[in-house]
Amino acid sequence: KQIFSLTREKKIYINLNETFPCVRLLNATHQIGCQSSLSGDVGVLHLLESEENLDWVLRTGPNPPYMVILESTLFTRPILMKLKNGSSRVAGVLAVQPTSNPPEGFSPHTSCPNENTGVYSETYGPSYAHCNVTMWNPLGTGISYEEFDFPIFSVKDDNDTEVIRRCYMEHNRAVNGSTPQYPLCAMQLMSHMAAVTDTATCMRRNAPTFSLAPDGVCDPLGDANIWASTKPLNSSTKGHKDGVSVVIAATKLDSRSFFFDVAPGADSAATGLVALLAAASALHNATAELNRTILYTFFNGETFDYIGSSRMVYDMAKNDFTVDLDNIHSILEVGQVALGPDSRLWLHSDPVSKRNSSVNVETLVSNLQAAAAGLNLSLGEPNVTQPLPPSSFQRFLLERPIPGVVIENHQTSFTNKYYQSMFDNAEYLKLNYPPNLTPEEQLELVTDSAKALTEVATTVARGLYLQAGGELAQMSRIQADSELVSKMLYTFLVRVNNSWFDQLVKSDWTGVLRNRPTNFYIGVTGQYFSEPALMVQCILANLTGSIANITEGNCQDKKMDKDENMNKDIYSYLWVQGPVRPNSTERDSFCVRSLVRQSKALSPAFELSEYTSKNYSTWAESRWSAIKGRIFLVASHDLEMLTLGVGVGVLLMSLLLTYIVSSKADILFSSGREPTNATY
Amino acid sequence: MNLERLPNEEKLTLCRKYYLGGFAFLPFLWLVNVVWFFREAFIKPAYTEQLQIKTYVQRSAVGLLLWVAVLTTWITIFQHFRAQWGEVGDSLSFTIPRGTP
Repeated sequence: KQIFSLTREKKIYINLNETFPCVRLLNATHQIGCQSSLSGDVGVLHLLESEENLDWVLRTGPNPPYMVILESTLFTRPILMKLKNGSSRVAGVLAVQPTSNPPEGFSPHTSCPNENTGVYSETYGPSYAHCNVTMWNPLGTGISYEEFDFPIFSVKDDNDTEVIRRCYMEHNRAVNGSTPQYPLCAMQLMSHMAAVTDTATCMRRNAPTFSLAPDGVCDPLGDANIWASTKPLNSSTKGHKDGVSVVIAATKLDSRSFFFDVAPGADSAATGLVALLAAASALHNATAELNRTILYTFFNGETFDYIGSSRMVYDMAKNDFTVDLDNIHSILEVGQVALGPDSRLWLHSDPVSKRNSSVNVETLVSNLQAAAAGLNLSLGEPNVTQPLPPSSFQRFLLERPIPGVVIENHQTSFTNKYYQSMFDNAEYLKLNYPPNLTPEEQLELVTDSAKALTEVATTVARGLYLQAGGELAQMSRIQADSELVSKMLYTFLVRVNNSWFDQLVKSDWTGVLRNRPTNFYIGVTGQYFSEPALMVQCILANLTGSIANITEGNCQDKKMDKDENMNKDIYSYLWVQGPVRPNSTERDSFCVRSLVRQSKALSPAFELSEYTSKNYSTWAESRWSAIKGRIFLVASHDLEMLTLGVGVGVLLMSLLLTYIVSSKADILFSSGREPTNATY
Repeated sequence: MNLERLPNEEKLTLCRKYYLGGFAFLPFLWLVNVVWFFREAFIKPAYTEQLQIKTYVQRSAVGLLLWVAVLTTWITIFQHFRAQWGEVGDSLSFTIPRGTP
């Protein structure tokens, strides 16, 4: 940063502090998202009052291009599409976040999520493909998957936004039909994306033929799946394991919204994974004597065409995973499980594979019904012959007909009005913490939603217990802990930085525990895991593992301690930060030994370098240099040209004058007569 | 170098060197030849070597025009169609602009 121009810059520009841009994502065929020009797009501010007011922006306004400020009620598909079509007069869009969720719902995702990478296609259940039977996300407008050639930023409705509105009111408002006079308030938004066209092009340009120091343009989306087994499995031997029969308990770890790095994912991701974590904790002591092994899998990247689950299935099929597809007995997936007022959950299954007599879904369904007996919820099966909702289970079905059930809170279409949007947050789940409580008190409070989710977790735990060969009589001692569920919901959806999670996190956590909800966006494969994967890894290790009495060095380095039998192929060791000692800043750290492992969640398309693949996810995220916004006053174009013209004129005049003076110098600068040579 | 001070034979050898050098895919040598020796070839009063210098300058001019035509055509086509050529376009490029196709 240049220091000398800083004070003058401060007098001219007001920087926007916290902005959430819309970035460019690419797949095999398209680019989606927003793009700005290299040095940012500048436009005169205009606060849109209604859809009719768009006329001013698109046709009648005298000072194009305009930077349109959209309040949340106007951030709709028709308005955005009109702005997109008139984009020569639109410099960008600033969307103001509302203080509470819009009551009519809002979903920028497509109405048929993961349409082309599920199991239903022309060859498998063609009548079920492309949401022919049930439109899963009817409120979906699909704007997350549109391409805009101007930047779209989102800002919270706080003091900075008030400054922007005041600037507009003072300078830009057209009063009673008169055109606003210069100087006008303008805004510059910069979010230049390097990647273009599609994933194949951007991956090719990541490594160009001639370049000396190639500067990457995009990165594939990916992260890690977290999985854990209830019985030790030797992870160094890959492929089929004889005698091992596995019940997979799956859920998804990620979510998204229209804007980058904003993904509160309350119902779409958090409820499922909290329920499964609580179930794993409840089953912790009961699974040793069971026939089958339960494999808890938390898939990352399911929002973007099943990145995590397609990768795990691919690894299993290639004998590159601890178990293979023939070891799988059945699959239970926990989807969106926030209970509505009727406390009903629905067990979805695949109608095509059920016709095969070897696929026994009935046992799984009856086990789940037995598990829910006596609890405060009821389970039902959809009464229409309906395909599976978008779920990781579909990727397993692509390889083998495996019996499986997906537990969801909707019978037909989603009940989630805010699917994959920034409004799928704690407020939607009615996690209403009274504002006068401190964060510590809020952490301890068990809300009704948490109690309801505990019932779901108990059902899942008991259902898994029965499915893994447990006895009905023993089932009632398996109970999920509502305080644990409440704490987890608080951690994921309200505030990551709290005293409960603080003790469980591993001590070399590279990020900073934030005072805000978890960001469930998968992001790009990097050195470190995304926040949700890391959190699930730490929580699951602490809930299902046991404390190992070994030193930090041995725990971190995983060295073989002579006294202990540290079999790294079976167990994983995590050095946990632990609680703070009273009256000190030191911590009682300890080592947790667990069966929690991670597997790569990068789409097989990138492993095989098939960037135009139709079978696997090909999503990649563009790189960018700077993302910022600022507001300032602009002068009229005519004034700018006049200033430039005057400057050029002065230059030419001075050149002319200098030439004239220099050519007539002997006349102008002579002193009248020759100076006498006065030599003495 | 001031051509005024050179004897005519050396002017001729210089002009010839630039003319021959331009065949090594160096059209700028022909440009220099044309511009530098133009006065010598066409404006100065006649002298023995001037005829040869004149032919060299004329041929350099012809070669230069040919190069200009070819390069202009190729550059126009490349700039216009590079984006549509996809992989071929990228493999022909040294720097690929970021953010545009």
